[in-house]
Amino acid sequence: MTAASVQPPVTVGKPKSGLLRHVLVRLATAVGVLFAAATLAFLLVRLSGDPVKQLLPPDATAAQEATLRSQLGLDQPLIAQYGDFLWGLLRFDLGDSLVYHEPVGQVIADRVPATLELAAGALVLSLVIAIPAGIYAATRRGRAGDTGVMTAVLLGQSTPPFWVGILLVLLFSVRLKVLPASGYGTFAHLVLPAVTLSVYSIAVIARLLRSSLIDVLGSDHIRTAKAKGLGPAKVVLAHGLRNASLPTVTVIGLEFGGLLGGAILTEQVFSWPGIGRLTVEAISHRDFPLVQAAVLFFAAAFVIVNLLVDLSYSLLDPRVRAQS
Amino acid sequence: MTPPSMSRRRALRLGGLALPVIAAPTALTGCGTAAGAGGDGTLRVAQPTDPTTLDPHKQGDMASMNVLINIFDTLTTRDVSGRLAARLATSWESRSRTVWRFRLRSGVRFHNGEEFDADAVKFSIERVLDPKTRSPIVELRYVTSVRVVDRYTVDVHTTLHDPILPAKLSLFGGVIVPPKYLADVGDAAFAKRPVGTGPFVFQSFRRDRELRLRANRRHFHGSPGADRLVFRALPNPASALAALQSDEVDLVTGLTPDAARQLSGYAGVELESHRGVRTAYLNLDTTSGPLRDRRVRQALNHAIDVPLLIKAVLDGKASEVPAMLPRGVVGFDASVEPFRRSVRTARRLLAEAGHAHGLTTTLTASNDDAQVAEAISGLLDRAGIRARVDLLDPGTFSARLTSDNRHALGPIYLAASTAWTLDGASMVQSNVRHDRRQSRWASKEADRLIDAEELSMDPEDRQRAFTALQRLIKREAPFVPLYQQDIILARTTRVRWTPVVNGSLAMESAEVRA
Repeated sequence: MTAASVQPPVTVGKPKSGLLRHVLVRLATAVGVLFAAATLAFLLVRLSGDPVKQLLPPDATAAQEATLRSQLGLDQPLIAQYGDFLWGLLRFDLGDSLVYHEPVGQVIADRVPATLELAAGALVLSLVIAIPAGIYAATRRGRAGDTGVMTAVLLGQSTPPFWVGILLVLLFSVRLKVLPASGYGTFAHLVLPAVTLSVYSIAVIARLLRSSLIDVLGSDHIRTAKAKGLGPAKVVLAHGLRNASLPTVTVIGLEFGGLLGGAILTEQVFSWPGIGRLTVEAISHRDFPLVQAAVLFFAAAFVIVNLLVDLSYSLLDPRVRAQS
Repeated sequence: MTPPSMSRRRALRLGGLALPVIAAPTALTGCGTAAGAGGDGTLRVAQPTDPTTLDPHKQGDMASMNVLINIFDTLTTRDVSGRLAARLATSWESRSRTVWRFRLRSGVRFHNGEEFDADAVKFSIERVLDPKTRSPIVELRYVTSVRVVDRYTVDVHTTLHDPILPAKLSLFGGVIVPPKYLADVGDAAFAKRPVGTGPFVFQSFRRDRELRLRANRRHFHGSPGADRLVFRALPNPASALAALQSDEVDLVTGLTPDAARQLSGYAGVELESHRGVRTAYLNLDTTSGPLRDRRVRQALNHAIDVPLLIKAVLDGKASEVPAMLPRGVVGFDASVEPFRRSVRTARRLLAEAGHAHGLTTTLTASNDDAQVAEAISGLLDRAGIRARVDLLDPGTFSARLTSDNRHALGPIYLAASTAWTLDGASMVQSNVRHDRRQSRWASKEADRLIDAEELSMDPEDRQRAFTALQRLIKREAPFVPLYQQDIILARTTRVRWTPVVNGSLAMESAEVRA
């Protein structure tokens, strides 16, 4: 999920038409990526096993299995199943879940609000903590404050989220009884899962921001700014942070993409009704249509986030605008 | 000597045990309650997963059945002592080899006011059998049709004599649905707003959040003990226990002994174990390799110290099963005793079979049973049997279990069956007779005994066949019977409830203190 590379700065022609063309090219690429992801999901999930074996109890007879397989259309040749799948995809019909007997689009759509809420909550929390922490550490490079902050975030990065989650539950739900241990619906339900999920992202963002900022703070324009007599806060925030933000924004985007689909452990611990948990269950049931739809959702989420990150460069970096 | 896996198990558990220590049990008593407390006649039950669907004929798993048994009634039922009892059917009899007659309760209405009668029974059973329903329910495989005799009598016709048909109608295939409502709203809407005759009426369901039911005051057994019943899916046992401790749920079911142990000593939380019928055993491939020799199979039975396994790995929450049939099911014979556990006898038998220096083999198990499999491997090692544990994800394991290749799970695999019909036939239907899918044992005598218990109309004949079969299993050792697992519950003190031995969560008898 996090293997996507940092995107190069965008080079665009005339500001409006260039941007539009760029967006259109990216959208066309996105369709290609989604098609490839759908095809891979279709093939891989079929390599993983037989849903009929999961749906029927072990004492079912071979004849009963054959009947159900035929009813589900799984006795058709692979190429015919693939054709049906693509035809459905073109009509935005991803089929019915084999387990839930509901359209998979509906099953996924039911989970989207919870998934977005958790990912957004965790991201906001990560930014609120990681950005000041990264700036603080960069401006005190090599000193006790830097070491303290970096040790703390490294600890967060190396701690498994399910363990953090259970500790938080034991403290705030079981012992202090101030926050619910699990469930979904109110702001109080969001707090512990969002904190748990943000621990890793805080570390990633803070560490990257620190190192980018340290690079930038050593450059000529910062020396010039200092020589102009600007205060340290203005130097760091107005001249340093903006230049250090490009790689950080990329990583924030990728982190958000990861948070959308990678919150499986957190969702399990807090019984959060998100897409990650749904996908794990769908895989264990070999629920082909649901797994395919979930993969498409994750692929779409990444593609959209990447596109937004890409477009944000032109806003953040004057050089990109100048090239435009 | 302690098996090697024991110390590893302890180490694995440390992480789990550390947490209650931090939470300081004594600090829990008398605390205020978190949001969502019951306290008003609401019973909140946690189980690991939600129902897959609320259409009772399109599901075949216990998590779904646990919810649906509260909304719907079945033709027969199991009482708390495990006896087959009347529900929507008041009595039943075998009219001929292929006909079972059921007399039905009159004056029963579905939650929408629709009347329950013989037409509803015919419609329901035939709906399970209809290929269009795509039902995963397989127990009614011998049923061909249902004939309405009069308004409150039906005849169920079968291809063969099915002596345990009434028991099979106590869950899954025995659920009765309202024909008119289904015709009016269709299958999809029915699954969204199910209507039954059961002790609770459906209110709402949001998957992975909660499912709410309210008491059916007009149920033929009277009003249930709880005014409202809420099911929540809490997949992680630690989270479920935390929810119990923070008063977000009243009853946690589906607990493993390890998870339950973490709760012992907490005030306000009670742990209960009740005898269950989920039965674990090793299936041995008697058709190839060293396991063709009966002495080797007997050696395995002597080597695996089942009482020690139960004590060390399952925290004592299971009972030894002597010969495949668990206590409490029809056919169990207490006179058949388990193997005497003796490493020395095991070594002697191995030596007699030409394996004086032991032998090497593979024990396949599902990831879910990893601890038990590793402990068994440790126990076998003491007798010189080096069994490498091969763990598979549960999906792959069950796919191989039911594959046409009977050797797909290797020479020895750890399996478990829940004989929810409470009849021995369910425990041995797939794995004994030589032509059944999971059988790796060719014994004419065993085949004859299976035919006798499956087809006989006389209960005494069936019992004789079961007794002889258990003795034969003990003698020939085609399996290593292990244990039947307890049903473990954790509950707050405001709830009183005794589970049914078949493991379902029928909550009408639960009492809730407001």
